[in-house]
Amino acid sequence: MIGAYRELEGCMQLLGHVLRRLTVLRLPPIGEQLTRQIYFAGASAAAGIVTRGAFIGTLIIVYVIEVLEADAALAVKILLWVVLREMGPLLAALLVLQRSGTAIATELALMHVTGEIASLRQMRIDPRDYLVAPRVVGIAVSTVVLTFYVQVIAVGGGMLLSPLVVDATFDELADSFFLLASPMDIVYSLIKSLLFGVSIAVISCYHGLHPPGISINAIPKATISAVTQSTLVVMLLNVVFAYLVFGELLFGLVTAKL
Amino acid sequence: MNPAIQPGEADAAPAQAADTSGLALACELPADAGADGRIWIPAGVSHRIRIADPAHRARLLAAIFDMQPDRDLKLVLLGAEVNALRMEERIALRARVAFLPAAGGLLSDLNAWENIVLPLGCHFPERLPGIAVEVHGLLTGLGMAPEMLLGKLPEEMTLLEKKIAGFVRILLEAPDLVLVENFAAGLDRAERMRIPYFAATYHASHPGGTFVQLEDVLGV
Repeated sequence: MIGAYRELEGCMQLLGHVLRRLTVLRLPPIGEQLTRQIYFAGASAAAGIVTRGAFIGTLIIVYVIEVLEADAALAVKILLWVVLREMGPLLAALLVLQRSGTAIATELALMHVTGEIASLRQMRIDPRDYLVAPRVVGIAVSTVVLTFYVQVIAVGGGMLLSPLVVDATFDELADSFFLLASPMDIVYSLIKSLLFGVSIAVISCYHGLHPPGISINAIPKATISAVTQSTLVVMLLNVVFAYLVFGELLFGLVTAKL
Repeated sequence: MNPAIQPGEADAAPAQAADTSGLALACELPADAGADGRIWIPAGVSHRIRIADPAHRARLLAAIFDMQPDRDLKLVLLGAEVNALRMEERIALRARVAFLPAAGGLLSDLNAWENIVLPLGCHFPERLPGIAVEVHGLLTGLGMAPEMLLGKLPEEMTLLEKKIAGFVRILLEAPDLVLVENFAAGLDRAERMRIPYFAATYHASHPGGTFVQLEDVLGV
């Protein structure tokens, strides 16, 4: 319990440091780190998500129309709820965690074990400035962009591919989509994905910078802690966020149009 | 004997010295620290000290480089008694000291050029535009062809190349005190012959500076 509290406190301090020191991103070596992060976490991850996103959208439409014997409007409505609000941010977050969260925790723990973190300190470079700030910002930006990408691919791909399988035209599906979709859905999901990205990056960086020892064995342990805790926090945030936004607290800011 | 190194100069540590202004580094480690447990190095020289015990060596380095003072270790650094300084004074003092680890202290995901300019890019980004010429001159002076080194990742470099890249990185910041850890370790005979040039290059670029080799055994 105390350990969990310390880790939470450590993560919050790390996040606070990053928010206070965002200006270091203007320094050339740190700006370069940011570019690398965005390329690795965002650009190179985008290609793999196209087919997955399109198939998810198609599956949802086909299931709703075929299995539930619903019309195109309900299929698009469920596509909106599932993909736009929930699945898009979650899929992007899990992809980022799977690729970048593990890479960050492993890389930083290895740097700790091999003395590279100490080298940075000896150069009077704060590892939180050089390593954490570009990773947190890079991962947050990448998660938001990937979420939007997943949403576009899943909704667009689903509406394009579904007419090949079920009795619904693209025009029907598109009309229903534009009738039902609200900009608030997009804003809600992007804010949520920003929080997911920040959480994954901060937790992964924290465990990477604080591996449980200085032997090689500490590296996988740091990675495992980063992945399990990031997954837990992402799921928790999802529930809390849904309660805040859809619940009574914010007067049902985003409502489900039935 | 290495002509740039003057061992023995520091061994004559005055028992009751009060004026620390002319000292680059002075402290007294416990008796089991090794032959040079008592360290007394005047400013402006090249010197070699031996601390055989790794724990004591780590403690000395921590006292120099960590921001939290070691209250049990009286340390004089560049004329100032470290434990008597305020935090901002310690930070300012710390900026005048550089350390070269035995393996060069390079970051494995950056090539030699990126490693060399990293501290400069973080502390003095305004100096970056003209730095290539300076790096070229320093590398050439140390007998290393820049085009052979600058594009290499640390995993592709020999130990000497790593030490040279780390050393050039230090020279660019012109520190008043350079601490070099186990410089000769891992180098072959021909490579060890080049060690004097490192101290000479440092003194040529920073005449008042102090160059200290920190060894666990006196191998050269």
